Formats: sequence, structure tokens, C-alpha cells
Amino acid sequence: MLKHDVVIVGAGLAGLRACVELRKKGIDAIIVSKVYPTRSHSGAAQGGVNAAFDENDSWESHFFDTVKGSDYLGDQDAIEILTSEAPANILELQRMGVVFNRNDLGGIAQRPFGGQSFPRSCYYADAVGHMMLHGLFDNVLKYKTKILYEYFVTSLVVDNGHVSGVVAYDIKNGKFEGIAAKAVLFATGGYGQVYSSNTNALINTGDGMAVSIKAGVPLMDMEFVQFHPTTLKSTGILVTEGARGEGAYLLNSLGVRFMSKYAPKAMELAPRDVVARAEQTEINEGRGVDGAILLDVRHLGKERIMERLPQIMQLSIDFEGVNPIYEPIPIRPGMHYSMGGIKTDNNGRTVIQGYYSAGESACVSVHGANRLGGNSLLDTVVFGRRAGVDIAEYLKDAAFTKFDESLIKRDEEIFEKLKKSNGKERHGLLKAELQEEMRANVGVFREEKAMKKAVKKIEELKERAKNIGVDDKSKLFNTDIVEAFEFSNILLIAEVIANGAILRKESRGAHYRNDYPERDDENWLKHTLATLDAQGNIKFDFSEVTITKFKPQPRTY
Amino acid sequence: MEFKVRAYRFNPEIDDKPYYKEYAVQDFPGMTVLNALMKIKSEIDGTLSFRRSCRSAICGSCAMKINGISKLACKTQVNPEITKFGIINVEPLANMPVVRDLIVEQESFFDKIKEVRPYLLGQRDDEEHYKFHALKEGEKIIQPVYYKSEFQNLTGNNDTPNCILCECCYSECGGVVGNKNYLGPAALAKLYRYSEDPRDNDRNGSRLVNGSKPDGMWDCVHCQACEEFCPKGISPVKGIVKMHEKAIKNSINFSSGAKHIISIAKSIGETGRLDEVKVAFDTGGITGLINDLPMAFGAGLKGKIPPHQA
Ligand SMILES: Cc1cc2nc3c(=O)[nH]c(=O)nc-3n(C[C@H](O)[C@H](O)[C@H](O)COP(=O)(O)OP(=O)(O)OC[C@H]3O[C@@H](n4cnc5c(N)ncnc54)[C@H](O)[C@@H]3O)c2cc1C
Ligand code: SF4
Ligand code: SF4
Ligand code: FES
Repeated sequence: MLKHDVVIVGAGLAGLRACVELRKKGIDAIIVSKVYPTRSHSGAAQGGVNAAFDENDSWESHFFDTVKGSDYLGDQDAIEILTSEAPANILELQRMGVVFNRNDLGGIAQRPFGGQSFPRSCYYADAVGHMMLHGLFDNVLKYKTKILYEYFVTSLVVDNGHVSGVVAYDIKNGKFEGIAAKAVLFATGGYGQVYSSNTNALINTGDGMAVSIKAGVPLMDMEFVQFHPTTLKSTGILVTEGARGEGAYLLNSLGVRFMSKYAPKAMELAPRDVVARAEQTEINEGRGVDGAILLDVRHLGKERIMERLPQIMQLSIDFEGVNPIYEPIPIRPGMHYSMGGIKTDNNGRTVIQGYYSAGESACVSVHGANRLGGNSLLDTVVFGRRAGVDIAEYLKDAAFTKFDESLIKRDEEIFEKLKKSNGKERHGLLKAELQEEMRANVGVFREEKAMKKAVKKIEELKERAKNIGVDDKSKLFNTDIVEAFEFSNILLIAEVIANGAILRKESRGAHYRNDYPERDDENWLKHTLATLDAQGNIKFDFSEVTITKFKPQPRTY
Repeated sequence: MEFKVRAYRFNPEIDDKPYYKEYAVQDFPGMTVLNALMKIKSEIDGTLSFRRSCRSAICGSCAMKINGISKLACKTQVNPEITKFGIINVEPLANMPVVRDLIVEQESFFDKIKEVRPYLLGQRDDEEHYKFHALKEGEKIIQPVYYKSEFQNLTGNNDTPNCILCECCYSECGGVVGNKNYLGPAALAKLYRYSEDPRDNDRNGSRLVNGSKPDGMWDCVHCQACEEFCPKGISPVKGIVKMHEKAIKNSINFSSGAKHIISIAKSIGETGRLDEVKVAFDTGGITGLINDLPMAFGAGLKGKIPPHQA
């Protein structure tokens, strides 16, 4: 049994940012991550991170853009924090060693992003997440932090409403370990693997959310799933919105910039939900090119492409066989981001004392029904930092609580049983079936009938999952068994998403229903909260949206 | 098309020794080696073990030897490999112990990264003015000023901050082959990255002194493998050479480090790898010293032997 004051699960930007905050105060905080920190998905973020720096810009305008982008479902007190703390957070990162591209005046260079009324996305070429992740990780090393990597967290341990720690599986040697803590932070990222054709890392399996709902913590607004308009046609790999920020066009098979029809003012830089739907409509109505749309950057010229979008150029060549200097890139909408997540307050606290969440695994909620590009990296550092600050306060009179060690045994048995099973179902194949079902029936356009079919499919997969057998019986670096467990997590998350989406009978932000095409503030300007009952069935509850400054208005671009 | 993947297999828990196993895989357009491995794992053999995460060449998880060369599996297309070799041979990276199948033990690699103190030492004095605070209504933030030119070695496409710590260079590094304690290209690229940072407040040059310790930057055998095999187009060795130059230029300022550097420089002289370094010696104004060193070019370079062991 290990014992530390704070256990941070997840070493992406949110986890690392919180960690730095705690470690620089000398607090005994450790990191637990299923991959080495720099392998975390934050490193894949390409485009930028938003903060109002320019003298003609203001954080208040960023505030409003974000509220509008969220289709008024974001909590305005939280968004005010996000945007008013943004510039200081970026400068703090810069002070820690993160490099941003510079403008001619010696300030941080900024590019336009979708749904933002001013160019306010700070960037490092098209690899800003990589830069931030490595910069923060270097600081975690600076403060000599203990890192348990390749440890897979399977349970949250709670005693009477207080957190007591986590159970983790050491992938390297197959041992289960209890880690007791006064405070636990989940910064476990999103669940992209619920969908086929997604931009996410293979490790993004919504573990933290699944573990939380099983421990009695509500998940909020899970039906809001972001589909990114520009992902490579064959692999789903992301082409940053920064490409459109730099001036790229979206063309249909007729060579027409079709966005003029859907968002005449913002054009290609309308928010993601709007652009993704426009593309899907073009494709559905027969104006696609082999089921895709074309992203054209040729007019930017070779030099600008190589300077500002080098990674995009390389990714297009490596993964799509297209050199964007000479040809347009075939793209289509792909699952990208989880707006919903573990319900937290503005300091990362959840309903369980001492248990926190931040980053994509959390739902504060600053993104509401649709996240704006460049706001998620911001979310990870602003709320990662705040969680760190709050945990430091909380520790002042927190104590270790009773750690129920039988939970270690329980998880061990789940794994042992999986290993012994000679079931014929393969988790890899079940996962592919689930992903395809979710893409097809709980995707960009939704309707009751299709979603009910998806729920049925999930029921079927749950049954078949009882017959999963794993090939690998070894204790040593057994990734087969980890993947089997991850599959059970995405299955649970899929169930929450699909049921939440059926429940919400309106269209708002990324949640678009053909059968209820209008936003319905009267009945649905509220958050959904999902929990599990004793039988493991999903229950829904609702909570108020915090509105401070901006009354809901029609959302046009 | 159906093609064959021949995978290095070894699970010390059950196998006495490593062996190779062949799998037949059906390809699809644009298939990568990682796609092929994942297909094998999910459809044929769940015991085949490898690391992977982003599948877009940015996380550095999936490096392995593919047909003999250290590469990212997610960035390597199946088709050209098959055209060239007729098969996809996959093996674990070199220069690190194998844990199992394609998975290597990375602890020592990461320990070396820690050793170069990969963070800013101190802060520029005026940074204190920018203490963290949330903005009030109507308030604007004031930023510190840094010009583009100050970051010129840090913001280019192939500059060292783009390193993803994938270990390809480390696996191919001649310096590590000769001396397993050698810091290696990635750690030294990191050292270089921070030594070039205009915000770094390394007043007494301790970075380069540190980097000049035994097993440090002077143990590079200039085999150029790191530059050749980096999937991100980075050239750690260019940075290493620049640091050599810088160290020599500043050697008079090094109190304790100076002697050491000079003695290592001497040994380089003896083994003959002075080509790049010599220039620096000359410009460093310590040519007198150089003249005393016997020169014998070539020998060590070919054998990939680090200087002080040659
Ligand atoms: C391709 C791509 C590009 C993006 N570009 C942008 C952009 O330009 N701007 C922007 O603002 N946002 C962008 N985003 C979104 C943004 O990158 C993410 O939302 C954000 O990085 C999430 O960070 P995180 O710290 O919450 O989680 P992650 O970085 O995903 O980290 C999760 C961590 O949790 C750990 N973990 C998970 N489960 C377990 C478990 N069971 N046990 C132990 N550890 C576990 C993982 O090991 C990992 O360390 C992009 C996203 C993608 C996919
Ligand atoms: S040039 Fe130096 S650092 Fe690079 S691979 Fe060769 S020995 Fe290693
Ligand atoms: S320098 Fe290149 S090869 Fe070496 S670890 Fe970094 S990215 Fe990989
Ligand atoms: S899987 Fe991330 S680099 Fe290959």
C-alpha cells in the first residue's frame, strides 16, 4: 500500500499543471498515469490556446464568444474565470519555459480561430500542445516529482463521502496496488475511442469518467460530443482549425466555398458544430468527394504553409498521401472532444470530499454544448492550476480516511476472471462494432429511432462482453487485459452518451436532432447529470445553468 | 494484398529465448505498420505487445525497429516497406533492455533527460512584474517583450523543442553503443534547447559545465545517426557541435569545468575526432593549447567508439 498526500491521475496538461502548483509548494503530490507523461494526448493539440492579449481585444469579448459558442449552456461564472485568468495563465506558462511564436512587436503571436471575434489563439507553429506538454513536464521534473507511469487506475476508493485513494494496476508487472491519499485529482482526459473515425489517441477511453460514475460521482452533459470539421478522410487524424485560421477554404465537389450558405459572415471560421453539420449536409446531399470535403490551403503558398503548418503538411503526406502545397486535402467530420465529464465546481471539486477533476475529464462547465477551438488547452491550465491551488488549501485540515482494501481484491479478481475466461468474443472486434454504431447513430445528426437502435446495440454488446476472452495470460506488460478493461469503460460511457442524447429533446450546440431541430430554452436550458443506480442502470437528473451577464440569444454566425 | 509481418517475440515470463513469429495481414490503402500490428493484436494474437498512443507521430510511443531501422510504427507506411523488403520485420529498439516483445525498458533513457536539468534556471529579472492575477473589468495584461530573433533556434520546424522523446535516435546512437552511460542525442538536444533559450538565466554557464561531465556531450562520436533517423527532422548532433563550440569559447570562464573540458578535448585530439571542434578551438582563442595536442583523424569515428575509451 502506497500513501501520499495527493494522487494526481493523468499526466496530460491538466494533471501536470495541477502538479506543478502543488510541487512548487513542496506538497507530497505524485503522478499516476497509464502512459509515460509525454505520451499523453495533450501533446497532439495543434492549433492554439486562447487568451486576449491584443490592445484591441478584451477578455470580456473572449467571455462573450465562449458563452455564445457554448450555445448558452456553459456556466457563465466559470467562463468568466476561464477568460479573465487566461492571459495570466499563458504568461505563467511562458515563464515556466513554454515557447510561443512571437509577433513583430515582441509579444505572443496570435491567429484567428473558429467562433472567436478576434485573433487570440497563441501558438507554437502547429504543435502547441506538444510544446505545452513538454514544457510543463520539464517543470514537474524540476520539482522532482514521483511518477508512477504505466499504472492503470481501475477504481476510486471512497469512505463515507470522503476520498481515500485509488486502486491501480501496475502494467509493468501485473500487480494491483492501493494508493491512499488525502486528495485525488482525476485529469484523465476524454473518451474519443467511443467513436470510430476520431482524432483522439488510442488511450483516450474515458477511464476516469467511467471510474467516477461507478464511484457515485455524476457525469454532466455527456450527450455533447464535438465533431471536428477537418479530420483526414482515411484515418481521422486531425487537421487543425489553425489551417482555417491561416485562411484555408472548404470546398465541395463543385469547387464552391459552401460555407457561404451556412455561415455567411464567419464562413470557414464558424464554430465547429456549425461547420461539421454544413460539411455533413454537403456530403449527404451528394456534393462530397468520395464521402469527403476538400480543405484547400494552396493559395497560402509554400512558404506560409511550411512556416505555420509544417505538421499538417507532414501529416497529410504521411497519412493521406497528399501534399497540401499542391493538392487540396480530403477531410470529413470526426469525433474530437468531450464537452461533458465529471461534474466539478470552479475549483475542480466534485461531490466527494477531496476528490477533484480537471481538464477534458471534467465538466465545469465552460464549454457547454460546444467547445470553441483553443479553449480546451486553456481549460486544462486554468482549471488544472485552480485545482492545485484548492487542493493545497484543502490539505490544511484534511486527513487520510479509511481505505477499503477489499476493493484492491475486487479489481484483482475482475482481471483474474478475464484471464481465466475462455470466452470466444474478442474485445478488439466488439470495440470496433461499438465505435461504428456510435458514429452512425449517435453522431453529427441524431434522431430518436437511430439512437434507440444504438442503445439496443450497446445492450447486446454488454451481453457479449461477458464472453470476452483474452489471449494474454501473462503478468508482464499485459496490454491485452488493459485493453479489455478499457473496452468496458468505453461501453459504459457510450451508454451514458446515447441515453443522454435520447433524453435531450432539442438541438443545441453539437447535439443536433433532426426530430427536434430547434433550441428549446424553456425546457432544456439545463445540465443533465448521469449517475448509476444500485443495479447499474443509468439515471438522469438536472441542474441549473449559471447565467450572469449574457441572456440567451439566437446563435448565428 | 496480403503481406507478412515477422515480429520479434519474447516474454521472459514464459520464453527461454526470443523468437520470431509470422502473421499474414490483409492491407488497406494507406495502412501503417501500427495499423498492421493493431490488426494482428485485435484479430489474431492478443499477446503481441507494443506501446502506442497518438497514432499521429506526436507522442513518441511506438518507436521500434522496422526492417532494421528505428522508426515510428504509426508513421511508417506498409506499402513502400513491402516493395523494398517484401516483409515487415519488427523488432524492439536497440540500446535499451527488452521488457517484452516490442517493448523496451525506458527508465535509463528518461533518467538521462532528467540529468540535463531540462528547465529554465532562474528567470530574467523583470519577469517578477508579471505575477499571476485574474483580470478585472476593462483591465489589459502587459506582456514581457521577446523578439522573434531571440527564439530563432527554438521556433523552426526542425528545432530541438519539437523532440517527442521517441528514442529512435537513442536506439541508433553510436555513442551509446560504445558507452551505455552516454547521455545520448535526445538528452543533449534537450540540454541544447534550454541553453539556447533567451529566458534561461544560467549566469555561470553551469549547463555546459554539467553537460561536459564524463558521459556527457564530449562522448558524442559524431556518427550522425541521430540526425539521419529522427522522425521529426531534428539534428541533435548539430546542437551538440554548437555546444562544443560554445563550451570552448567560454572555457576560460569555467572554474571547475574548464580543466575537465580541456582534458576531454585532449583525448578527442588523441582519437582524432576534431573536425568540427577544431574550428571552435581556433575561434575560441586557445589555439596555443590545441597545438600541443597530437592529432590523428579518422580512427574512432569509424568504430563508433567514444573518445575516452578509444
Ligand atoms: C488532435 C487534437 C488536437 C487538439 N488541438 C487543440 C487545440 O489546438 N487547442 C485546444 O485548446 N485544444 C485542442 N485539443 C483538445 C485538447 O488537446 C485536450 O482536450 C486536452 O489536451 C486534454 O488534456 P487533459 O490533460 O485533460 O488530458 P490528456 O492529455 O488526454 O491526458 C490524460 C491523462 O490521463 C491518463 N489516464 C487516463 N486514464 C487513466 C487510467 N485509467 N489510469 C491512469 N492514467 C490514466 C493518461 O495516461 C494521460 O496522462 C485537441 C485535441 C486533439 C485530440
Ligand atoms: S552524432 Fe553523436 S549523439 Fe548523434 S547518434 Fe552519433 S554519437 Fe549519438
Ligand atoms: S531527437 Fe528525434 S529521434 Fe531523438 S528522441 Fe527526439 S524526436 Fe526522437
Ligand atoms: S503512436 Fe504516437 S508516435 Fe506513434
